[in-house]
Amino acid sequence: MSGTVRARRPASPPPGLPHAAPTSQRFPHPRHDHLDADARKEAASRGLLPSRRTHASGGLNLVPAEWKVLVVIVLLACIVRLFRLSQPNSVVFDEVHFGKFASKYIKSEYFVDVHPPLAKLLITLAGFVFGYDGHFDFKDIAKVYDHVPYVAMRMVPATLGIATVPLAYLTLRALDCRATTALLASLFIIFENGMATQSRYILLDSPLIFFTALTVFFWTCFTNEDKHEQFTDSWWTWLALTGLSLGAVVSCKWVGLFTIATVGFGTIAQLWILLGDLRVTPRLWVRHFMARALCLIVIPVLFYMFMFWLHFLILSNSGDGDGFMSSEFQHTLRGRQMADTFADVAIGSEISIRHVNTQGGYLHSHPHNYPGGSHQQQVTLYPHRDSNNDWRILNATHDSESDIEWTSKPLTYVTSGMRVKLRHISTDKCLHSHDMRPPVSDVDFQNEVSCYGMPNFAGDANDDWVVEIEKGDRRDRESTHRLRTLRTQFRLRHALSGCYLFSHKVKLPEWGFEQQEVTCNKNAVRANSLWFVETAFHPNLPQDAPKVNYRLPGFLSKFLELQQVMWTTNAGLTDRHMFDSRPDAWPRLRRGINFWVKDHSQVYLIGNPLIWWLSTAAVLSYIAVRGFLILRAKRGYKDFENTKVVKYDALCGFLFLGWGLHYFPFYLMSRQLFLHHYFPALYFAILLSCGVFDLVTSTLRPRPRLYIATFLLVLAIWNFVYFSPLAYGSRWTRADCEHARWLKTWDFAW
Amino acid sequence: MSEASSSRLRQRRAEKATAATDITAIEHDDDDYNISPQNPTNRSELEKALDNEKASMAVVGVLTALAFATRFYKINHPDEVVFDEVHFGKFASHYIQRQYYFDVHPPLAKMLFGLAGWFVGYDGKFPFDNIGDNYSEAHVPYVGMRALPAILGSLTVPLVYAIMKECGYSTIVAAFSACIVLFDNAHIAQSRLILLDATLIFFMTMTMYSYIRFRKLRYQDFTLQWWGWLIATGTFMACTWASKVNGILTVVAVGIAVIVDLWDILDYRKGRSMEYFTKHFFARAAGFIVLPITLYLFFFWVHLAILSNSGPGDSFMSPAFQETLKGNELLLNSQEIRYFDTLAIKHKDTGVFLHSHPERYPLKYDDGRISSQGQQVTGYGHDDPNNYWQVIPTKALPETGRGRIVRHDDVIQLLHVATDTVLLAHDVASPLMPTNEEFTTAKKDDQAKYNDTLFQMKLVDGHEGEAWKSKSGHFRLIHVKTKVAMWTHTKQLPDWAFKQQEVNGNKNIMDKTAVWFVHQIIADETGDDFKDRVGDKPDTPPKKRNFFKKFAELQLSMLQHNVALTASHPYASNPINWPFLISGISFWTANADQKQIYLIGNLIGWWTCVGALSLYSGITLASIVVRRRGIETLPEPVMNRLWNSVGFFFIFWAVHYFPFFLMGRQLFLHHYLPSHLVSALIAGAMLSFVLSETVNYPISIPGPQMQRSRIRERTYADLGTRGPIIVGVFAVVMLGLFLYLAPVTYGTPGLDGETVNSKRLLTTWLLHFQAKETGEVV
Repeated sequence: MSGTVRARRPASPPPGLPHAAPTSQRFPHPRHDHLDADARKEAASRGLLPSRRTHASGGLNLVPAEWKVLVVIVLLACIVRLFRLSQPNSVVFDEVHFGKFASKYIKSEYFVDVHPPLAKLLITLAGFVFGYDGHFDFKDIAKVYDHVPYVAMRMVPATLGIATVPLAYLTLRALDCRATTALLASLFIIFENGMATQSRYILLDSPLIFFTALTVFFWTCFTNEDKHEQFTDSWWTWLALTGLSLGAVVSCKWVGLFTIATVGFGTIAQLWILLGDLRVTPRLWVRHFMARALCLIVIPVLFYMFMFWLHFLILSNSGDGDGFMSSEFQHTLRGRQMADTFADVAIGSEISIRHVNTQGGYLHSHPHNYPGGSHQQQVTLYPHRDSNNDWRILNATHDSESDIEWTSKPLTYVTSGMRVKLRHISTDKCLHSHDMRPPVSDVDFQNEVSCYGMPNFAGDANDDWVVEIEKGDRRDRESTHRLRTLRTQFRLRHALSGCYLFSHKVKLPEWGFEQQEVTCNKNAVRANSLWFVETAFHPNLPQDAPKVNYRLPGFLSKFLELQQVMWTTNAGLTDRHMFDSRPDAWPRLRRGINFWVKDHSQVYLIGNPLIWWLSTAAVLSYIAVRGFLILRAKRGYKDFENTKVVKYDALCGFLFLGWGLHYFPFYLMSRQLFLHHYFPALYFAILLSCGVFDLVTSTLRPRPRLYIATFLLVLAIWNFVYFSPLAYGSRWTRADCEHARWLKTWDFAW
Repeated sequence: MSEASSSRLRQRRAEKATAATDITAIEHDDDDYNISPQNPTNRSELEKALDNEKASMAVVGVLTALAFATRFYKINHPDEVVFDEVHFGKFASHYIQRQYYFDVHPPLAKMLFGLAGWFVGYDGKFPFDNIGDNYSEAHVPYVGMRALPAILGSLTVPLVYAIMKECGYSTIVAAFSACIVLFDNAHIAQSRLILLDATLIFFMTMTMYSYIRFRKLRYQDFTLQWWGWLIATGTFMACTWASKVNGILTVVAVGIAVIVDLWDILDYRKGRSMEYFTKHFFARAAGFIVLPITLYLFFFWVHLAILSNSGPGDSFMSPAFQETLKGNELLLNSQEIRYFDTLAIKHKDTGVFLHSHPERYPLKYDDGRISSQGQQVTGYGHDDPNNYWQVIPTKALPETGRGRIVRHDDVIQLLHVATDTVLLAHDVASPLMPTNEEFTTAKKDDQAKYNDTLFQMKLVDGHEGEAWKSKSGHFRLIHVKTKVAMWTHTKQLPDWAFKQQEVNGNKNIMDKTAVWFVHQIIADETGDDFKDRVGDKPDTPPKKRNFFKKFAELQLSMLQHNVALTASHPYASNPINWPFLISGISFWTANADQKQIYLIGNLIGWWTCVGALSLYSGITLASIVVRRRGIETLPEPVMNRLWNSVGFFFIFWAVHYFPFFLMGRQLFLHHYLPSHLVSALIAGAMLSFVLSETVNYPISIPGPQMQRSRIRERTYADLGTRGPIIVGVFAVVMLGLFLYLAPVTYGTPGLDGETVNSKRLLTTWLLHFQAKETGEVV
């Protein structure tokens, strides 16, 4: 190391050489100055000062020839990635879901998915433009497409996959790597079997990788601008573009949050350096801070919300996602609206009661008995409207003739603390609870709830419930004092045992038609014991009595509710899958995913082993070398005063940070994970491996460097071709297939 | 001071002025020699009076006496089983009876309970079945057992005082920290019962104390004292770890502190050689890694040595483990299986027998798939002659002798005795799972299907030639031709199979749930004389097994069960609520006189700690930012104290708190108690920071390793008269609130509804026997 330090050139030309004047012919012409590090080094070795060239936007000093190279690369990417895109002509892997969602968008039927809408909207747009009408059901893997413009839909991820290739090139160039390195990286991306496979089908990962790459590129350019001159037009442009593409990443999949974290760490580092720079006044620092907050927080958030605004705009009809949403939300969907209902609830009103916290639905009873416990009639939560959800609310303090009383007497509103009975209208039994364990939640603080009684029997004291009003509506002052339809949230306390009517996300077995369990809970979680009246009708009320309906939620509350539903659904995806895997298996490429099998050909997601393992090796060697350098620095070695070390440390450090932030958080997730979750991290790892290549070959002359790059590429392409039948789903002999099974854990289907 | 030293002082000042320009270098050392307790004249009289040996002893004496008084007050009440005494009391009985049990926590604290029980003459016969079972009626010397945590809990209070003193705080500040723990209702409630936390907290505090002593000796490295405190730290660390699973967090916290320390030694600016560093590294590796692990293993060794008899924990362990326990069923009844024996085979996880009956699979299932219409093979939960299967050999056997024993990897057929058909699997989808193979039977002499009826019997972890035994011989039955394992799952078949469990072929032959065992040998080839094969066997002595194998197995299964504790509990709470004392735990209630024990802390103490924690985070963040702008606001000794000493506390607090956010298991308020104790230390430090401009500095013991060039000026903390007043008022208020909440801490006297309501300081506390709120006004 110390040798390199000594080799550093003095800033001024060596004494033997004539002093270079700015007009000297020896100076390269500014146009030729946009050369790579080698050319600059050569010029410097001849004692030339770097010329006072103009700073290219984003620090991208591309020579014209490189644009030609880029065109060739893109053409090559098109050939590799679009080859027989129509094959297989049936549903592959998660096209089951994403194709289905496209159909639903086209039919504008409401659905709920764990991913944000951008990528799905793009796919839908392609389908829509090519005349898809949403008739196909995408039911099973390997179902043959029938009048579906699936090639057009597959073109979306494929195009974005192709676009990732030049981005890799430009990013490495912007990171001040040599053209050879950038070329190597872009070709590695083209010939990565996993990325190629993933970008050929209607899946969200290819858009995700594209937008991640785009963000990284914009961010690198912004960093270059920031080092050069701040608050210029191009500085703002790159910053705003970074913000926009951040919004796009996170609108494809929530994994995009890791990209936000990567950029966030970069921003914090920049601000921290600025803070330590005493020439930066606090005022200027705040300006820096605000500019970044505006572009990297506000813009992405607005973009993300705009995507959901589009999502709600398109999905205006009721569909199979209704059940996930609250009643207010459902009310905004066409086909789910409810007629206005009376606002007042009085003794004798015919009401339906809904549970607040779960989407289980209405308090329900039906003429079937519990198989165990008391053997009385079941009480459940049922999500659909039905006459079995109707209850009559009766006064329990009058012992006899309760039925007659309410019709003849004047209206008595139901107030807080009133003791009532709830009579199930169609079976003429009362809501009842007693000291018996419920059928599923067999714990001693829960009691069974049933329907008990017979037509001419007033019922016993176990039928009595006390209404406790918990929360009214602020705009309806009455609702905090007495029961008002839709506006009052209340609890029902069992008068004798003091437990509260309760329900939770626990399904009854088959005998209860898998409806949700209702119990009486002594230690009830508050939220799960809240109820409200959805519809109320009383014969004595005049027709012009005040009526109410759900308040239509605004965009913001709909947006927030959907985020919450997506989060809980996502966290609930914990079932095992045949091909799921844990993060520790990914960098080793331990196992792939079987996408599609039919007629002795298959699509199996597996990476290009050479590129994959090379990238992992690069990551590991970075960790080892960086750790060693830290130890050396602690012992007083001045490695970090070497410009070369500083340059590659910054470059590799950034890429490593990106890799780590896109990889390690998966360890914290308990949901099912798949190999394709590694792809954003893989993108960083591949760039890192090329960065390492740049470092290792930095002392070589251009020609040997090119030979090494060519050698690596030939190996990579050979690997790609060898495994390509798995990506394209083309025919393969069994012998070849068995031969290709390099690891015992690669479970191809025979 | 002598002439020479004062001149050195002057030099030092000049040097300091130049050093201050280097803003990035944080000086980590508290360097000086001479710790003689001298009181310079500029300190207030009160401070001088309190900060000497005698006053300190008096304060610590009072604190200890109060601690014992509060912890032992009515320790005999309630004379019933409270909360987790159900478990830990039971485990103590098992130690006394030497019966094997299984628990997710390491054994040390429970062994201590066992020891305490044995010491006070408990015979281990009380079952500890339910919360509320009476001790007095059963003559259980429970007070002796409760005394153990009470003693340890009481000793924690003077320890907190000692830690603060060692870290250089004034007597009054140390008393403040000790008061927060002393008058804390949660610590008291937890230490008065047979629970593990008091032991855990005591050992954790001891670890911290020893480490601080060790660290203060860093200028006298490798002296006897230095080694002594190093070993003490390692020992107490192991004890903490062996008391409760969360004790591992203490190990992590000490580990972080040690790494920071070593990192400092490595710094070239300290001018240490690599040899010096290596020596330190290996000393710490020995004291903080090798020693604790050895002790931890030793505790388990004792645990396993004591629990030599079969007990309720047997079934958690593998057969090989179980056979080491005296009186274990496997040991007594396990016998080798020979060919032509008739067996009842049971599934390990779901406990059903392998069953078959003459009814056949329906030709077509509801979802349109087709079956083979073969005879049904199912899993059935009850004893039945249809569960009997005979082992048929596929090779030539000798007439008699040990050659007739079925061994690992043997290929066998299973003959269903009642229908005289043999078990068969083939490439037909099973009724419920299209991915799995159907199991059925075939006529015994159907040669066409012979190959489908061959199964390989693979013992779990079996070795070549190992004999198949009933009870203990867990095995997988692998279909030879199609490589599937016989498997069953809890899904029931429809009515046509009488709702029995489906048995099918699982392609994942290493599936953990594809394990079966022979429940019983029904008969042998000739009839029933096989009893003789067993009858003449004397009582089998327990087998020997390598301790490390047993330890590894036990440790693994503890981890798995700990993770699996996810069932919801009405008093479980989320970690975010803990520091704010949002809710407690109901330990015990007596309906008759409305008594209850509710674990809840002293609100004032807890919120003071939260305040101190936020103050500390605020100061630290602000000072980082300000330093970055090149401004020095605090004098160096104060800054060093905040970074190093309080930083050490803060690491302990954070490490004992934040990991809980990642745990999926049920969590309770008492998991925060270790962190709460540490936050009391931080509260003391913050009080000192607020009241005094200066700190007692330096506090480390001088020695040869000290670098003279870094010697700093001596400073003293001075709280003035405000200090004792503030702490005095605080202590009185703490005591007041403690007494106010005492009825729910000690579980006596009983409270009427109105009083309960008034004790409910936060609406989120779920006390029992609340009066109904009447006429709620909105």
